[in-house]
Amino acid sequence: MSGEEEKAADFYVRYYVGHKGKFGHEFLEFEFRPNGSLRYANNSNYKNDTMIRKEATVSESVLSELKRIIEDSEIMQEDDDNWPEPDKIGRQELEILYKNEHISFTTGKIGALADVNNSKDPDGLRSFYYLVQDLKCLVFSLIGLHFKIKPI
Amino acid sequence: MSDNEVEMEDVVANAERSRGRGLAQSRNRERITYDVVDEESSATSGAPQRSVEGWIVFVTNIHEEATEDDVHDKFSEYGKIKNIHLNLDRRTGFLKGYALVEYETQKEANEAIDQSNDTDLLGQNVKVDWCFVKGKKTSGKR
Repeated sequence: MSGEEEKAADFYVRYYVGHKGKFGHEFLEFEFRPNGSLRYANNSNYKNDTMIRKEATVSESVLSELKRIIEDSEIMQEDDDNWPEPDKIGRQELEILYKNEHISFTTGKIGALADVNNSKDPDGLRSFYYLVQDLKCLVFSLIGLHFKIKPI
Repeated sequence: MSDNEVEMEDVVANAERSRGRGLAQSRNRERITYDVVDEESSATSGAPQRSVEGWIVFVTNIHEEATEDDVHDKFSEYGKIKNIHLNLDRRTGFLKGYALVEYETQKEANEAIDQSNDTDLLGQNVKVDWCFVKGKKTSGKR
């Protein structure tokens, strides 16, 4: 069904957090693709940890719930103009394509909610902060249960 | 640029409007080959996909004040539950509204979906479906 395909193609989520330091490029990244493919990669070179990289296909029900979580967060109404820039300490990227809108936000690592409240755009950054936590929760449950691993 | 990068650009190009500093920057992506749960060779795209230790159903529209016992009681009618993940909304501290419930056998999971989809839990109509499905054949490379 072309309508279904067009609808399915109208959705993409990717989140990245990482830094390049004495242990090389250490990062966590996951993405949900329009066809339901969920990819998860976690690289920590500390003490020769090997990269965790997992792929699974989630159902339409999971994608629908993910859309609801994004909608409820109101992140699509925000902008990263006044958010802290990525720096040496780290980088976060959140990319979402939903309902014909596309965002590709970047910011530095956020240590705690106090960093959010002290920023120039506390409301916007707070939406980002909580959405990222909710997305991580969902992804950690999906990957953890499917592969029986303990994601970080 | 790799095929997947091109594919991803095509997806994003659908957007009517784009926003954010990331647009102007190259994505910080490593080339990765992903692990998947082994699939039977006769897999049909969209059919339920087993997990390493069982079969997982995905429940949505759960009342935000439900307890794990509420969910466990409802879903243990269809078989022995091996795991439940009932996640919180990090902002409010109440339930986010979805759960993952793992059964040992496909039969139990299928029964849970057939019998409990569109049924009541604490006054809300929960939806129950497979969590993982078989994807289209790809190499898993990016």
